Amino acid sequence: MEMLLMGLCMAVFGMGIAALAFGAATRSGPSDSAVQPQVSLVKPVAPARFFSDRATATPTVPPVVSSGQVPIEVLLLQIENHVRMEQAAAESFLAFPTHALLHSKTTSPFVN
Amino acid sequence: MTHELLHGLSSAEVEQVLKLGKRLIVPSGTALFLLGDPADRLFLTERGRIRLTLPMQVRGREEDVFVEERSPGQTVGWSALIPPYRFTLTATASLHEAEVIALPREALREYLAAHPAAGYKIALNLAVVIGHRLQLFQTMWVREMQRTVEVRSA
Repeated sequence: MEMLLMGLCMAVFGMGIAALAFGAATRSGPSDSAVQPQVSLVKPVAPARFFSDRATATPTVPPVVSSGQVPIEVLLLQIENHVRMEQAAAESFLAFPTHALLHSKTTSPFVN
Repeated sequence: MTHELLHGLSSAEVEQVLKLGKRLIVPSGTALFLLGDPADRLFLTERGRIRLTLPMQVRGREEDVFVEERSPGQTVGWSALIPPYRFTLTATASLHEAEVIALPREALREYLAAHPAAGYKIALNLAVVIGHRLQLFQTMWVREMQRTVEVRSA
């Protein structure tokens, strides 16, 4: 009888261990799958960021878009002003060559 | 009028070189030369401004896009001294009429051969003109490339 009870206890204990192990295993499974959704969540985020980047880049786009609507004479004038500004920037660099002057940001509306 | 090409020459030498050329009046908006034309004359700007342009496709149309402007004293058309002797830009008088001295290549060459000391100074001056143009456009090219890189890596 005692042996039977002891065996029963061992069996219950064993089942408990197995249940815990199963639980842990199944818990680790979902946690892995939980990571996957995170990865899959990250993926949509990337395009969203991509589009948001495009959206933030939009301020640089309008001149080009709007330039498609301005008269061609105005567009050519914008190009000429841009070339003149770039030449002035290049002249400044040539007069005193530094990295900063070489890559100084232009205020030309043609590219901003 | 001091011409960049004749810098360092004596007044007698300057006079001799200028005598080789012919004064031309270029009415406003008139082309002095066109891209691809045979380049057999070098021009010294005396008065007015000369616009240098390159053709560019703008909205499906070929348009002359401004590249550079040359002022009195500056040299235009040094393709006349560089093979294959074809103009690589179009030159047009700006808003006002311009006056230039057209120096024929052959006459200039003969003068330079006959007067090596003056020829040496003119060659050095020409190197400065060409070198400056090269550095200027190299810098502008790098700046444009930098912008392209920034846009592409954004």
